[in-house]
Amino acid sequence: MAGLPLLPELVRQLFSRPATNAFPSRHLPPSITGFLAKVARGEATIHPPIPTPPKFRGKIVYDREACIGCSLCLRVCPAHAIEFIPETKRVRIYVTQCIFCSQCNDVCPKNALHMSHEFLLATEDRYAESQIVE
Amino acid sequence: MIETLPALLAGAVLVAAFSIIIGLLLMGFDRIVAARMQARIGPPLTQPFTDIRKLLAKENVVPENAIPWLFNLAPIIALASAITILFYLPIGGFAPVLSGGGDLILVMYLLTLPALALVAGGFASGSPYATVGAQREMVTMIAYEFPLAIVVVAIAWRLAAAGISLPFSLATIEANPVWGLVGPLGAIGLLILLIVLLIVTPAELSRVPFDTPEAETELAGGILVEYSGKNLALFSLTQGVKTVAMASLVVALFFPYRLAAIAGISGFAGAVIDLLVYIVLITLVAFISVSVIRVAMARFRINQVVSVYWIYLAIAGLAGLLLVMVDQIMGVV
Amino acid sequence: MSAEKAKKTVPYTVPIGPVHPALKEPVMFTFGMEGEIVRTVDFAPGQTHRGIEWMGMRRNPVQIVHLTDRICGICGIVHSLSFARAVEQIAEIEVPERADYIRTILHELERIQSHLLWAGVAAHELGFDSLFYLAWRVREQSMDLIENLTGNRVNYGIVQIGGVRRDISDEQRALVEKGLDYYQGLLDQMATLFLKDSTILMRCRGHGILSGDDARLLCTVGPTARASGLNMDVRQDYPYCAYGDLDVKAILPPPETGGPQGDVYDRIIVRLLEVGQSIGIIRQCLGQLPAGEILWEPKMAKLLSVLKKAEGEGIGRVEAPRGECMHYVKMAGKEAPDSWKVKASSYSNLMSWIPMLQGEQLADIPIIVASIDPCLSCTDRVAVTRNGQSDILTKEDLTRLSREKTRRMMQ
Repeated sequence: MAGLPLLPELVRQLFSRPATNAFPSRHLPPSITGFLAKVARGEATIHPPIPTPPKFRGKIVYDREACIGCSLCLRVCPAHAIEFIPETKRVRIYVTQCIFCSQCNDVCPKNALHMSHEFLLATEDRYAESQIVE
Repeated sequence: MIETLPALLAGAVLVAAFSIIIGLLLMGFDRIVAARMQARIGPPLTQPFTDIRKLLAKENVVPENAIPWLFNLAPIIALASAITILFYLPIGGFAPVLSGGGDLILVMYLLTLPALALVAGGFASGSPYATVGAQREMVTMIAYEFPLAIVVVAIAWRLAAAGISLPFSLATIEANPVWGLVGPLGAIGLLILLIVLLIVTPAELSRVPFDTPEAETELAGGILVEYSGKNLALFSLTQGVKTVAMASLVVALFFPYRLAAIAGISGFAGAVIDLLVYIVLITLVAFISVSVIRVAMARFRINQVVSVYWIYLAIAGLAGLLLVMVDQIMGVV
Repeated sequence: MSAEKAKKTVPYTVPIGPVHPALKEPVMFTFGMEGEIVRTVDFAPGQTHRGIEWMGMRRNPVQIVHLTDRICGICGIVHSLSFARAVEQIAEIEVPERADYIRTILHELERIQSHLLWAGVAAHELGFDSLFYLAWRVREQSMDLIENLTGNRVNYGIVQIGGVRRDISDEQRALVEKGLDYYQGLLDQMATLFLKDSTILMRCRGHGILSGDDARLLCTVGPTARASGLNMDVRQDYPYCAYGDLDVKAILPPPETGGPQGDVYDRIIVRLLEVGQSIGIIRQCLGQLPAGEILWEPKMAKLLSVLKKAEGEGIGRVEAPRGECMHYVKMAGKEAPDSWKVKASSYSNLMSWIPMLQGEQLADIPIIVASIDPCLSCTDRVAVTRNGQSDILTKEDLTRLSREKTRRMMQ
């Protein structure tokens, strides 16, 4: 249509599938736990999550056994999220401070640090068990 | 005309409830359709009901430098006047609650009332955004009244030219569908007038591209910027009822047919069929003049709104009127 | 003109900001209005100062490079690239050729996503939400590519001093080529949607005009300057990374569309054409991608010790999607730099708002403000808070403070 070039596209979209990534359930269920229980019983289906990219940098994983306590990671961490514990000669990583640059992964001589694909990390407690890796 | 007072009251309450429910459903429908056109999923159909329920539960904040009585009165007047319009318009197969009590000219005046209440509320808010929004709303109102009047006058004139008495009465318009009176030339003229009326509708409802009074990105909600809680809920309801009223006006003027009567179905079944046809028709009108127009365009500037209505639509309307007139004269000759 | 002064000469003032739906980032405008017409314009940036340079001066360059990722949410690579180039100058590090090409590819992918993001924002400012959704949906493809190449959508973490941290595999190369084909096919459609739409034409043609002379006087950069007819582009004038091997010419509004008029419409044209240009650049880069290392020094400990010894000053300049972005770094043989100054591209463009906005309508403010694609979180640098009172330091204030200090030291 002259002057409104978007109109044909809009009419086409009216009859095609929405481009939005679907939420796990179509609409907000009355009870989320109830919905999840239903999913577990196989009574309801859940939209699968969008996969993370191959090199995704999520929550940090720490191999305590491989670590030699050289504390090189402390020197390169931009967010000061890593703490060195002198008694055990190991490090402690605060996920709430981490900025997921994975620089510590690159610097580690023993490959003791990795980034996982886990990204649902929000909590209300900065020092919750899930927020501290050691 | 309904004779007894209790029946009148019952009718009024029914129409009010009906218009609010259908108005909110139309808003929900508009949101789904607009979302789908934009390749989104959109909210459920009942979302406007949820929104209203939430707004009613919220605190009503009156700004410090507002005029409280006017600020609080405006939404009530807006909703009441919007519902009143529907008392004069036929709904489905039912005659208007106050039929005989008023005609098209009254409806036109009533249509300005919710907008005026909005303007009063905007000025009473004491916010620069609302003031600018109120000024724009007034300008928009002046702009779209002219083409609207042309459409109404054209139809009434054609009825009068056919020798029908009381041409402005809605009962007359319903009894004599205007399409049956005109020849091919007049039909083209009527089609132009219908398009004009469909483009006047989004301005009446202040939707994109004529939503300059509210203009989210410029005025942050403009005329409604200070409204919250119950007052905002009332304005939202007004919006829904106004959608029903405008769509009903389009239907009453251009599709005043009672399919049930034509098909020979009477009684309860006939009434249901008429009502369903009416709902489908107003949904169609809302789809074209609210949803499609609003997703396909950018917002106009206020001076562009005026030139669209005063120049382009007025010329189109006058051309339509002229075609109807020529058609009538040729028919007589 | 100050707000008080403006009040006396115009009928009323409209404040916009610091937080307003028309602005995606905080900046405070005061408009002196006469009816719907803007008579006077005043704006106050500095609402979003975060002290990132202060943080940088307490960290070593390898740490800072990841901080620079976070200066801006959109230009993820621009700041880190600019900073890395400044440090590489000081430490005389030669970046491997392959790394330079990968940097260029990501730089251009970022330009595509940034320009599409801007196109969506512009459509939204015009009240054209359908086009906003469409533009952002199309943008997702470039975000997916960036995500695939770097690992994350926004903070890429790809640039390292002396190279890049992740290589491009053959598989990823095919993906990028597929994405480029998608955009190539889409370019004409986007151009039609933005440039042939009569409502957009009505709103943008002849509005927010910045004349070529004004653009030069106000030192504007990037698409804002090019839309006003200034033939300037860091990639063309001072080639960096792989741009020296490539054929990059500054894009000006073509004569077919009425030549450079310096209005909002021209800025749309320039950005859309630059998306096409970026596609060409990435194709060229993929075609002649050299083999080899991607890091000057893969051992971080060694790199850190080299950087610790480095002494001198360096300036990194890159052409960000919004214009020239500059980082100045001074190292003095210490772990942390002695000085680090970030000059984001929007910093040079902000002043052009004043000639653009004067005489325009209130309704045009959002699109004109958005038309220079302001990025304020990148820009805000000097904000002083003392005794609960905050203050923005102007050039005059800084000169005065500097003179006072010199006098004190001479006594």
